[in-house]
Formats: sequence, C-alpha cells, structure tokens
Amino acid sequence: MIGGLDLFIVIFFIVGVFIVGLYFKRFVHTSEDFFLAGRKLAWWVIGMSIIGTNIGSYDYVGGAGAAYDVGIAQANYEWLGAIPAMVLSALLFVPYYWRAGAYTVPEYLGMRYNQPVRIVEALLWGSFLICCIAIFFWASGVMLETYVGWPIWLGILVTAVVVGIYTVTGGLTAVAMTDVIQLAVMLVGGLAVSIIGFHEVGGWSGLVEKISPEHPDHFKLFLPLSHESYPWLGMIFGLGLVLSPAWWCCHQAIIQRTLGARSEWDAKAGMLSATFLKTLVPILYVLPGLFVLALCAEPLADMDQALPWAIKNLLPVGLAGLVFAAFLAAIFSSVDSTLNSAVTIWTRDIYQNLFVRNASDQHYLRFGRMLTLVFVIIGAFLAEPLTTSFKGIYQAMQNLLTIFQGPTLATVLLGIMWARATQWGGLFGLLGGVACSAILHSTGMNFLYVAWWSFVVALLVNVLISLFTKPEPVEKLRGLVYGLVMKDEQVQENLASRVEGGD
Amino acid sequence: MVAWFMDIPLFWAKILGTIFFVSVIIWALMRPKEYIFRGAPDRKRWRDLRIWAAVILVVQIILYIKY
Repeated sequence: MIGGLDLFIVIFFIVGVFIVGLYFKRFVHTSEDFFLAGRKLAWWVIGMSIIGTNIGSYDYVGGAGAAYDVGIAQANYEWLGAIPAMVLSALLFVPYYWRAGAYTVPEYLGMRYNQPVRIVEALLWGSFLICCIAIFFWASGVMLETYVGWPIWLGILVTAVVVGIYTVTGGLTAVAMTDVIQLAVMLVGGLAVSIIGFHEVGGWSGLVEKISPEHPDHFKLFLPLSHESYPWLGMIFGLGLVLSPAWWCCHQAIIQRTLGARSEWDAKAGMLSATFLKTLVPILYVLPGLFVLALCAEPLADMDQALPWAIKNLLPVGLAGLVFAAFLAAIFSSVDSTLNSAVTIWTRDIYQNLFVRNASDQHYLRFGRMLTLVFVIIGAFLAEPLTTSFKGIYQAMQNLLTIFQGPTLATVLLGIMWARATQWGGLFGLLGGVACSAILHSTGMNFLYVAWWSFVVALLVNVLISLFTKPEPVEKLRGLVYGLVMKDEQVQENLASRVEGGD
Repeated sequence: MVAWFMDIPLFWAKILGTIFFVSVIIWALMRPKEYIFRGAPDRKRWRDLRIWAAVILVVQIILYIKY
C-alpha cells in the first residue's frame, strides 16, 4: 500500500485532472461543442487522446501478466494487431465519416444503408459502452483499495465524481485534453519502470540472457499454430485482418476524436500520429512483465501479480506513486471517453433519431449532459453487481465485443467500398454475421477465428443479398462511397468547399 | 491434414506478416496526393501522410523480421 510522497503524487494527479477538465467548460456552448469539441481538435490532441482512450488498466495488469507468461508475443496486440488497421482507418474510413458530418459510426451507417442498420449498431455499441463504464469504475475501485487502502465504494465514488463532473461540463474537449495529460503521465511512468528495470537486469542483452534459456519463445513475436491463445495464423487473420480493423475503424470511442477534428487532414493525421505512440505502448507493460520474469526468483502463482510485484520490488518512493497515477490515468481516460461516446450514441442515434427529432440545439446539449450524469450513476451502481455476479466479466465483455466486431467491419467496409451494397444487404449481412459469431462462440472456437469467420459470413451475406435487391440511388450515396467520391467531379467540388469551410 | 497444417514452420508467419505490412505500405503510397492533402493548410513535405504511414510500417517490418 502506498503512502507519504506516493500518496501525495496520486492525490495531486486526481485534483490536477479535475481542475484541467473543469477549465474546458468555458468552450461548450452547443451540442456540437459537447459531442465533437466544436470540430476544433488539432491532430496531435486527437492522436494522444486516441492512445489515452485505448490504454486501460487491464492493459497494464493483464498485459504485464500475459507478457510474463508468453513474452513479447503480447506486443502483437499493439503492433500487428493495431498499426496496419490504424493506417487503414486514417486513410480510408476516417475521411468518409468526417465528410459525412456524422457524430457516430451508426449515424454514418444509417446514411449509407437504412434506419434499422443504424439502430441495431447503436443498440449494440451503446449497451456495450454502458457495461464498459461499470467495469472501469469497478477496476478503479479495486485499484484504489489495493494501493491506497480506500474502500471500493469510495474509490468508485471519487472516480465517478472527478471524471463525471468534467465530462458533464466540458464534453469531448475536456475528455480529449485530459487524455493528453493522462497519456503523458502513463508514458513517464512506463519509461521510469523501463529505465529501472533495464538497470536491474543489465540492459536488453541481460534481459535476453536471463530469460531465453528457460523460455526460448519469450522473444518471438509469432508463436506456433499449436499455441492455445496466440497461434500465428489466428494473429494474422483474426487479429490483424478483422478484430483490429474493427476496433480501429468502427469503435465509437476511438473514432469520435477524429470526428471532432478541425479539418479532414487533422482527422487523418490524428489517427496516423497515434500509430507512432502505439509503437511505444509495449514499453508500458510488456517490458515490466519480462523484468519480473527475469528478476523474480520464485514463479508467480498468478501472472496478474507481475506488475504489482514490479511496483513493490523495483520502484523507489515517489516513482511508485507516479506509476500508480499512470494506472489511474489509464482508467480515467477510458472512463471519460467511453462515457462521452455512450452519451453521443444514445443521444444522437436513439433519442434524437427516434423520439425527439426537431428540438433546439440547447435541448440536445442539456439532454447530453443529463444523460452523462445518468450513465455515471448507472455505472457506479452497476459496477459491483455486474462484476461480481458474472465470473470473468472482462472476458465476457471481450467475447461480446468479438460477436459484433467482425460483422460491423464487414458492413462498414462494404458500405464505403462498394456502391452496389444495398440497405437490405447491409442489414441482413450484419444480423447474419452476429448470428454466426454467436453460434461459433457456443462451440468453444478460439475468438480470433470466430472474428474471422463472422466477418466472412457478414461479407458474403451482404454481397449475395445486395446482388438480388434493388441498387441504391446515386443521390443517396454521394459523398458516402469511395468510387462515387473519387470519380464524381461535382462531389469533389462540394467536398472541397466543405473541407475549406471546416478549416 | 491437421498435423501437416500445425507443422507449418514459423518462417511462414514472418513471410505472411511481411507481405501484410508491405501490402498496406503499397496501398497507402498509392493514395492520390489530392486525397492525402485535403484539408491541410499547406503542402509541405512533412504533411504527406503517405510518408508517415510508410515510416511507421517499415519500423513494424524491421521488428517482425528481427523477432
């Protein structure tokens, strides 16, 4: 348990984030300010915010544990399983979302296909994000109990109050700017652990010499096909070609920052700049897992104890507080982004789209703020029952995500790339892919392969039904489909004027 | 059949992985200049996002070939 200087650093971090978050209240006057930061975000803010959102506390604890267990293959989730997809997202998906003027990915799908596709996607992602808020609150409560000694309810309360208030008042601007600070804290904390770890093991060569004799596969990025969790073919096809593009191209919490960009170039550059930071992420948790394997004399009973062991045995007073602040930063940045994205989807795609269509802008701003508060309260109250009633809730959430990630990617990909894809092809492709995922999951198939096959099924169903249904009119597809944008001079001119207007 | 499949050497993982990264580089480099710079305040070389993409993917190829 931390105390003294470490505790001071943690409290200083919490108060600092709260004050910075509150500062951005002054920039929120309209619903666009609240949900999309007034479309004024610069590329470097977007890049840092994306990575801050992407790194969660489980990445630290679970990721270090997995690195302790399997070695650098865990970095596949940051490299092969992220970088190519982020390039694809930046140069193909993001420009279309941004040009469409959409607030959410389901909204884009509604424009491209039809209302049912928009609503199905919004309900899937909206429900998933609310559950994520509860899980993040619980993770924060457990962490503050373990390291600071606060009761879990107090940890949840502090997180809910701090993150809730600045997200309610400052919207996406506050979320993105606090993400920047939180990522900086995470990187400094990660670098501190790496420097001390390398000093202890004698540099990279010392680390390899200590680990390789007993664990020869720990310095291989690809593991054999017989590996239970990380078969290389599953990594390339399941993670690299489906799960990762689905995450980076379709996840609302990731995409929303780019939709708030001040120009199309900033939107694309924001996502691409995140790839540089993403390359460094394994420093935060893969290296600590390897340091523990090299330095801990007795094997750990629970691999998730790897990072706590490193903090307890490697870090001096002051640095432990900094690394703990980095944990909290990871949770806070995930909670605020998820909260803001959940509210955006429920406000735009459900409330405004289905129930109250023509209210004033201030009405939607007030509704968004109120809903943020409601989701904070729901998340705080659901945190314990949701996580204690279901064993392995985190894994369950990952499985749930796998069920609709592949079909979502197939639907968006065909929507952007193939003008012939029809509204019914999109709807039945999406539903068929989700049904396929659910069936394959029940057979116990590795989730990487489930993702791949559900993607393929959604793609095939979409193509087949589209070929047998009436094509969509060109007017409906203008600006939303790749071929039509690139070939249509009038659309090009319209886009150019919209882009100039956006600057 | 399954045994044969499971015995595919890891060498092929590196080949496939490299092909994957190189394909994305080629795809990125083929994006039209107009498309890449749309919305940029100027056309300075550092704003060419194709170069950003190529640099980061080459780093990936080096990492995956080495490890």
